This record gives sequence, structure tokens and C-alpha cells, in this order.
Amino acid sequence: MQFTTQRLKKSVAMAAAVGCVLGFGLTGCSTGGPSGPTIQAQAPSTVSGDIEFWHFFTDREAEVLQNAVDSFEKKYPDVHVTVKSGQDDEKMRQAIAAGQPIDVGLSYSTDQVGPLCSSGAFVDLQPFIDRDKVDMTQIAEVAQSYTAYEGKRCSLPALADTYALYYNTDMFAAAGITTPPKTLDELTDDAVKLTTFNADGSIKTLGFMPLLGYYENSEPHWAVMAQAGWLNKDGTSAVGSDAAWQKLYAWQKNLIDKLGGYKLVSDFQAGLGQEFSEQNDFQTGRVAMNIDGEFRTAFIADQAPDVKYATAPLPLAADKSKAYGAGYITGNVLGIGKGSTNPEAAWALVKYLGLDTDAQVLMGNGLKNVPTVKSALTSPDLEVSDEYKVFLEVYQNPNSQTAPASIIGSQYQTILGQFSQKWQSGDASDVASGLAEVDQQINDAVALGSMG
Amino acid sequence: MNKRRSLAGVVADHTILAVLAILFLAPFAFIALTSVMSAAQAGTTFSWPTSWHVENYAAVFEKLDLVRYFGNSLMYSILATVFMLASSIPAAYALARIKFRGANLLFLLIVAMMLLPPQVTTVPLYVMWSKLHLTGSLWPLILPNLLGDAFSIFLLRQFMLTIPKDYTESAELDGCGPWSTMVRVIVPMAKPGIAAAAIFLFFHAWNDYYGALLYTSENERAWPISYALAQFRTSRAVDWNLTMAATILAMVPVVLIFFSAQKVFVQGVTLTGVKG
Amino acid sequence: MRPTTRRRGLVALAFLGPALLGMAVFFVYPLAMTVYYSFTTFNILSSPKWNDFANWKYLVGQDPLIVTAAVNTLWLIVILVPIKILGALLVAWALTRARHASGVLRTIFYLPALIPPVASTIAFVFVLNPSTGPVNQMLSLIGLRPGWFTDPAWSKPSLVGLSLWVLGDIMVIFLAALLDVPTEQLEAAELDGAGGIARFWHIIVPAIRPVLLFALVTGIINAMQMFTEPAVASGTAMGKATVGAGSSTTLGWPSNSTLTYGQLLYQRAFGSNLMGYASAMAVVMFVVTGLVMIFLLRRFSGFTAEVAR
Repeated sequence: MQFTTQRLKKSVAMAAAVGCVLGFGLTGCSTGGPSGPTIQAQAPSTVSGDIEFWHFFTDREAEVLQNAVDSFEKKYPDVHVTVKSGQDDEKMRQAIAAGQPIDVGLSYSTDQVGPLCSSGAFVDLQPFIDRDKVDMTQIAEVAQSYTAYEGKRCSLPALADTYALYYNTDMFAAAGITTPPKTLDELTDDAVKLTTFNADGSIKTLGFMPLLGYYENSEPHWAVMAQAGWLNKDGTSAVGSDAAWQKLYAWQKNLIDKLGGYKLVSDFQAGLGQEFSEQNDFQTGRVAMNIDGEFRTAFIADQAPDVKYATAPLPLAADKSKAYGAGYITGNVLGIGKGSTNPEAAWALVKYLGLDTDAQVLMGNGLKNVPTVKSALTSPDLEVSDEYKVFLEVYQNPNSQTAPASIIGSQYQTILGQFSQKWQSGDASDVASGLAEVDQQINDAVALGSMG
Repeated sequence: MNKRRSLAGVVADHTILAVLAILFLAPFAFIALTSVMSAAQAGTTFSWPTSWHVENYAAVFEKLDLVRYFGNSLMYSILATVFMLASSIPAAYALARIKFRGANLLFLLIVAMMLLPPQVTTVPLYVMWSKLHLTGSLWPLILPNLLGDAFSIFLLRQFMLTIPKDYTESAELDGCGPWSTMVRVIVPMAKPGIAAAAIFLFFHAWNDYYGALLYTSENERAWPISYALAQFRTSRAVDWNLTMAATILAMVPVVLIFFSAQKVFVQGVTLTGVKG
Repeated sequence: MRPTTRRRGLVALAFLGPALLGMAVFFVYPLAMTVYYSFTTFNILSSPKWNDFANWKYLVGQDPLIVTAAVNTLWLIVILVPIKILGALLVAWALTRARHASGVLRTIFYLPALIPPVASTIAFVFVLNPSTGPVNQMLSLIGLRPGWFTDPAWSKPSLVGLSLWVLGDIMVIFLAALLDVPTEQLEAAELDGAGGIARFWHIIVPAIRPVLLFALVTGIINAMQMFTEPAVASGTAMGKATVGAGSSTTLGWPSNSTLTYGQLLYQRAFGSNLMGYASAMAVVMFVVTGLVMIFLLRRFSGFTAEVAR
């Protein structure tokens, strides 16, 4: 039945398209849809119908999501959810813009909240929240903050990813190190001690990869270590004016030199194993310490159960040591697509995945991601290993950071990343002027993005 | 190049050719060998397979919906080719054989269209197709062929120009109108050119990555094989052995077509160059 | 009855109808819209808003990547294209000297050009994998270990290597042209004592000049719009999951060293959602392509003679 209706719709669209191409191409031939889904004044007693749910997970993780959707369908038997997995943010945004009827979207990163909110790709959830009197305080504050943009709440947090330090305890023991590094200086010392070389002078095992761009070594994750700030309140760049960045880059340069120089570490990097395969460098013991997300615990359990490791909050710059316990927080965000044809059922799914304790525990256990609802964080059903526990603590630490939402998405991070590449390879030697240029580039991009 | 002497020269020539042939074939050998390795071996330094896993090919079919992707590629390529022929043969004929005002200008426009980088028109065309709700499918790549393909028109016209005018003129004297002259005289005589144009468009469609990325990326059910293959290796964990098996599978159809129509093919390729 | 001029015009119109429409819908209309969008802020979700010259201002002096992308593209045009042409010419020339198995050899040299670019790129990246690939295994014997597609300094040369592997398409054209070179001329030159190089430059190259120019024109066009090979190479070589962020984030990897102009345009349009800005980039691309083509075609006498019929 449904199949044939879809077929029919498709043929009608086709016919229209041929007509358009043949006859009306020049005049535009818009079949533009409504400006967005509408909300009912009263919460409906039951919801029903078909909805389409797009998310980015694949393989094992997609199965976890499917389990959550199955339990949703059990709770709402009249709703049928069509799940489309493996849809990255770019595809999803493109599809929403192209008018495809995506009811619920799960975006990979908080980076997208700015563009999704400001463009209207995700609709404003506030009317739903007000109508259903949703208690927003049940969501941890940091997660509340990164799911709204300029006061517009267009998404709810689904699950959080937190980043901290993984270290190989066998390799630590062999090098005579007993505790994880708490400061950047200790990180440097430990990294040097843990690094071994081949007979030909190349690196055999590395204590810590000093290059940005490797796996999860990214500017946002590192920013926490210096407690460095990204954006001013007006959305312009704070990178050049925050001295923490310069210290961070100076520390990096020093570490690269101590490990043998850029050539040596980049040669080592070239032989990296695929991040999410069994060949992940931390899992194979090529690298002794890595910054990574809590999900790595699940990958290690799955792919390399024999690796002995522990986790710790990120080491910090000496002058920021009071903030110890912090890590990086980001998360997946849920929203209702502009083209949703069944917004009430979509809202039911968003509420279920974002706010239901059981659903959050189910996904938290399955994906080894951190639940964002407080009741799930403390739920006895949440499986908490010692390695995983660190991430729950990091998540609740007030000094943990996230990358702020911006109208230009994650582009400000990309711009800084371009400087990092030049800096670490030695093509740029003046941090201050380099970062001033970064400021200019970010501000120009923000200005262009804020047009119209 | 060295000066060549009779026997030594011949030997030298063939040595060079043999080395070149090995260089050109070696990558195929490497990927073929990798495609039958165990997953563990494929991820490490290259060596002769320690154990043979022909079942990798079956695994690829399990992991990827290859039948669908091949089906999509076939649909895209065949429909695009048929549509192109239907619209472009008459256009080429008119440009080659009918004298009318503006013919030269029109031909120049077609050359310009042929040379236009696809990125130039990407944004407005994407907007147009999205207004028609046809993004997420291959139709935005197939339907335009109904309205002619610049390169094919160019190629067909160039070929038709080589057909002596006597044939068409005598057909006209026999009372044939332009349409029947085209169908009865030009099309049969232009068969090699038509075959070349068809093969080019078929391959162009089969190999297309940019178009598929643009219009089908969010809808797995519409992916052609070329795009699906590129996606396969970016998913979380890359199994090199399976990736290589999939890569080989993606090559098979075009290679088969090539060997079954090699003569037309090479003729066609040379035609573009010499006539161009 | 011979048809009159007017009647012929109508007949031509009938034959050309679909193609004329196609030209309007897929050429004239999008070009006009591109120019219009280039003065607007546009993200598809809402209708375009006039922003005067904001896109152009950003394009001319502010976009941190556009110079990189333009220089990379220029690099491909100036270095990759001539090397590929020269390589194809040499292979074709070697083929003309084959006494045996020339058909088989031709097929071997043509095969890599035949397979889908996605497949050939993945295969080539695999062969050049710096740590596990067979090429570096051999090179490491003499102490060399280039990073190929993973090293910003080597990634473009690696693309040249790939283009040499797939040189078959122009090689076949050269081969046909070379076989047309009159053997008497060559033999006469050989009797005069002209060496291989002299014969090559003074007899063969002039004889196949139109074909060389054709290869140059198509090569430059292809280089200007290059997208697939560097995109697939970056994604395959980086060995890092892009998970949910999207395909445009891998373009240009490593360090934007393979970011082409066409890729940046795509990234700005669909990654950053700046359709207006991407349109401004498209206008520049159109103008530059047009100028280059006019310049080349003017020198391409055979081509224009054909146009004038």
C-alpha cells in the first residue's frame, strides 16, 4: 500500500519535473511547500502515523538506535518510524533544505546547532516545550546551553560525548609511571618517557601524539587543557586575545621537539591505523596516551579487550590546574525538520529519545555515550565501569568546555586548524600574528554568515 | 630516448614496453591479491596472501547492497544514453546538414556548454531540482539528457560531417524529407559515431561521482556503484580486503563492456581526438 | 522542390527543439541565476536576500582558502596536465615501435583509464599507502619512505602519479595520430642521420600538433574542474572517520594540499551552506574558463576551421 503511494507520488513528481524541464524551466516552476510544520494548540491524546528519523550512526551503533526506536514504537504503537542511518550532518541539512520530509533528525555535533537554528532547518521547539510544560531542569545545564542558539531552542540533547585522557597502564608500568599526567608539563615528561625508537631512528611507540589533526587531537579538545576561549559574546573570535592559546601552541612546539621533531612524528602519523578499526593506534599499543571520547571504552571492549588501560581527566596548563577534572563535552542533538509532515509524532520521538530515562539509559549503555538527562545519569541501570565513570564525572565538572555554537558552524575551528597545520609543521613561527590573522578570518566569515 | 639500432633497438623497445606493461598492471595485481586476504593481513605490510579468502567477494555482497547499486548504475547509464540519443541525433543532424541562420552561433554555444565545468551551474540546478522534489534520486542526472547532451551533439555532428554530401543529396532528390533522410541515410552511415557517443555517455554515467554525490548522497537506495564504493571506504572501520574486492567488482562491468566492444570503443576515442 | 531558407529554418528548429530547450534550462538559465545569487545571501531554506557585494568582498580579499584552492588548481593545470600529456605521448610512441602484441599492450595501457575513477583512485591510494603499501615497501629498501597522499608535500605529486596511470584515454588518441604519420618521412629522416629525439621533435610532433592541442584543451578543462580523484584520495588516505560531519570536511586533506577550486565551491555551497558565495565563485570559474578557452581555441586552428565549416 504504502509502497504504491510512494511510487505514485514519485511518478507525479516525475511528470511534474518533465513538464517543468520541458516548459517552465525558465520561470522557476516552484512547487514550494509550506513554511514549516504547525503545532496543535493542545497536546494530542494519542499520536499516530509515519515519521522519518535520520541519524548518522552506522553498524553496531545503528543497531542501538534501532533498539531505542523499537521501544518507542512499543510505547506508541500507532506510530511507525522509518529510520535512515548513516546520514551525516551535511546530507541531512542538504536534504532538509531540498524540502525532503525529515521528521526527526539526529545531528552528530553541537557545531551544527548554530546553522540549523538560524536557518530554520530545525524548527523552534519552545512552543512544544511550553505547551507540554517540559521541565528543562532535568537536562544538565551544559547540554541545555549547547542545544540552543541565540536564545532559540531548536534542539534537545540526545546523548553527550565527553573527551578525556586514555592511557595504557601496561606501558605506564613498564616506563615506571604510576599516575596519569595532571599538567601539561607532566604530559610532556610522560610522553617522552613512553616513546621508543626503532634501530633506523624512526619512532616505534609514541607516548602522546603532539600533532593536531590526528584522531581526536583537535583544537576544541585541546582548548580545554589551557582553558582557552573561542568566541566573544557578539560571536566574534576570541582566539587572538586569549593568551591561553599562545601558551598551548608553545607547549605543543616544545613537545614536538622533545619527541624528535616534526618530521619524525609526522612520519609516525602517516602509518596510523584507521581510527575506528581494530588497528586504532591506542588499541594496538602504538600510542600510549590518547585523548578520546567515552565511546572508545566500547570499541576497546569490542575490538581489543586485552588492552590494559585507564582513563583520567585531561591534563591542564600549570596556571589552570585548579580546573582539574575537566574534559571536553559535545553531543548529539535532536530536532524536528522543517519539512516534517507529522510534527506531533516527531515531537513524541524527540521527547522520548531526549528525555525518557529508560531510553537514555538504553542508548547510554549501548553506545557508551553519556546520558544527558539527570535521572539517567544516576540510574542504577546505567552500566558504569571504572574507565567510563571518569567520563560521567567530566561531564558534570563545571570546568569542562564545549565549542560554542556559531552561525558559521564549526568553520571557526577549521580556520584555527589551518593555522595549527602551518604552526606544527614549522611553516609559521609567529603565534601572535598567526592568531591575529585567525581572528580576522573568523570575523570575516561570521560577518558573511550573518548577512541577510 | 636512445638512438635505435636494428636488433638491439627492437629488443630495447620491447624491454621498455614490457616494463611499462608491468607498471600499469601491478596495481591491479596488488588489489586483486589484497581482495582475497584475511582482514588482519590486509591491514598490515603487503605480502603474498597467507591464506586465500575468495569468500570476501560474497562478504561484500552481504555488507553492501551491491545488486541495488549496480541496478541503479545500469538504470542511470542506460536511460541517460537512450535519452541522449533520442535528443542529440536530430540536433547533430540539423547542425551538420541543414543550412540555417545562426547555425554557427548555435554550434559555438554547444561547444561552450560542453566545456563548462559542472560546478558553475551546480547551485541553481540543485535549487531547481529540489523545488521539483527530485533530489535524493538519480533523475536530476538522467532527465537532462532528454534535452540533448552537448558533448554528444558535438561528437555526432563532427562524425556526420564526414559523410559525403552526395548521399544526402541523392536521398533528397528521391523525395526524402529531412527526417527520412536522417533516419534512412545518415543514421545507418553514422553508426560508428553513434556507437561512440553512446558508449561515452554510458561510461560517463557509470563513472559519475560528482553528480551522484550531489543528488543521491542522502538516499542510499539511489546510490550508483561509483558513489557507493567511495562511501564504503569512509564508513567507520575500513576493511581493506573487502574494499579491494568491492573495487574489483565495480570494475568488472566496464571492463566486460570494453572487451565486447573494443573496436567501436577505440575507434570512438580516436574519433574525438582526430576529429576534435 | 528545394526547401526555402525560411522552411529550412523551421525544420532545423524542429530538429533542434529539445536541444535548444536544454540549452535554455541547463545553460542560460543557471548561468543567469548564478550571477543573481552571487549578489545574495542564500541557503535554499529561505529565499535569496540581496546583500550587495558581500560575497564578492569575501571572495576577493577574505576567504582564507580561495587562494590555496586556486593555486592548487593552477598547479594541476601547469604541472599535472603537461606531464600526463608527455607521458601519454611517450607511451604511445613506444607502442608504435612494438612488433609483437601491440593490441594486448594497448589494452593494458588503456585499462586503468577505463575503470571508474573512484575505483582507480582507491586502488592507487592503497598501492601508495606509506606504511603498508607495496611501493613504499620497495622504496624503503633504498631508504626512501615518502608519505604520498598523506603528506602535504607529496599529495599533489601523488595525483600526478595517478594521472600517469590513467593516461590511456589520451594515449589511444596519440597512438592513432602517430600511426598516421607518413613512414616515408621518418625513413628519409633516418637516412639523413637524424636521431630518435630529432625525429620525434621535428617530424612527429608537428605532424600530430592538432591532436596535441586537443589533449591540452581537454586536459586543462578537466584539471580546472577536478573533483573526484582528489576527493576520493583524501577520504581514502586520511584514515580517520568523518562519522557524522560530512564529506566536505575531508576535501583537501592533508592540510588543504589537494583542495581544488571546484571542491572549495562545493564545500562552500553544501558544507557551509553559503549558496550565494558559492555562486560568486562559480561566476569567477565561468569567466576564467571562458577566457582560457577563447585563448586556446584561437590557437587551435583545426578546431575553428571546423566551426566555420
